[in-house]
Amino acid sequence: MTQPSRFAHASEAELARILDYYQVEWQYEPRSFPILWNLDGAVVESFAPDFYLPEMDLYLELTTLRQSLVRKKNRKLRRLRELYPMVRIKLFYGKDFRALLLKYGRLDLAASLSGIEGQVGSPIAAVRTELPVPATPVSGELAVSGVQV
Amino acid sequence: MRPTDLVNDVDEVLFTREQIAQKVAELGAQLSKDYAGRALTLVSVLKGSLPFMADLMRSITVPVQIDLMEVSSYGGAVTETSGLVRILKDLSSPIEGKDVVIVEDIIDTGLTLNYLLRYLRGKNPRSITICALLDKPARRLVEIDIAYRGFEIPDRFVIGYGLDYAEFYRNLPFIGVLKPEVYSGD
Repeated sequence: MTQPSRFAHASEAELARILDYYQVEWQYEPRSFPILWNLDGAVVESFAPDFYLPEMDLYLELTTLRQSLVRKKNRKLRRLRELYPMVRIKLFYGKDFRALLLKYGRLDLAASLSGIEGQVGSPIAAVRTELPVPATPVSGELAVSGVQV
Repeated sequence: MRPTDLVNDVDEVLFTREQIAQKVAELGAQLSKDYAGRALTLVSVLKGSLPFMADLMRSITVPVQIDLMEVSSYGGAVTETSGLVRILKDLSSPIEGKDVVIVEDIIDTGLTLNYLLRYLRGKNPRSITICALLDKPARRLVEIDIAYRGFEIPDRFVIGYGLDYAEFYRNLPFIGVLKPEVYSGD
């Protein structure tokens, strides 16, 4: 299996490991959807869901951020659904992710994988050597897709 | 980890023993009707579905064979080298040409069942369907067609009637919600 070189957040890396474990094929940020244009027709805002599961034709967006940032993401998601009604997307909130970790008996990881602490490049994440995350910030950057089987 | 307290660790009861029995009887009756004149192979996924399996099979009126499977869980795999789901206990008899019903206690993400379905379909059963006592759709990652569904439940951590937390609470005769302080206090 090939791992993509980077994830924007430690929680994304953990979800990728879970999907790998259950042999669910995934792609990381394979597509960016334009959701806002200026008067000249140039794209001014896009939304790139974190994961795409080809077998289910489903996009997954994982957000473990604080509420104010979740609202921004919800707005983007609403916009995407308006513009691309055929696209199936599921938003995974922080509470959903914590519940997932609880299900797998890994609630102890929740704090280190949530919110700012789990963001790649944060000073807190940087000292957590047990987390398999890249050393440089990649937030907002499209990573090379790694197709998993 | 704090000591387990079967009574005081339960936040609320979602389904009583009587409500569960009623629902299991309904599912058994529906399966008996749908598979009239045929035989069924019930495949229980250990460990959580054992009580459900035991009650369901006795409420079915067509001939039934049973088998058991166990699949590794992600959390238990942190020390595994493969990092992939594994069959811990496989079927004891072939299912080729048989009508198979997978008996599950609860379906939430659908990840385990998705894997299991692919695995069992490879054994060429005549048909394969799913009977789940509890469905937690809010947590679904993988779409699963549940032909026989008991209760749809909210997104809360449930225990009892086979469902566990840290392997405890399976022996509760009802299905309840675990108090958050039980797992947050780990």
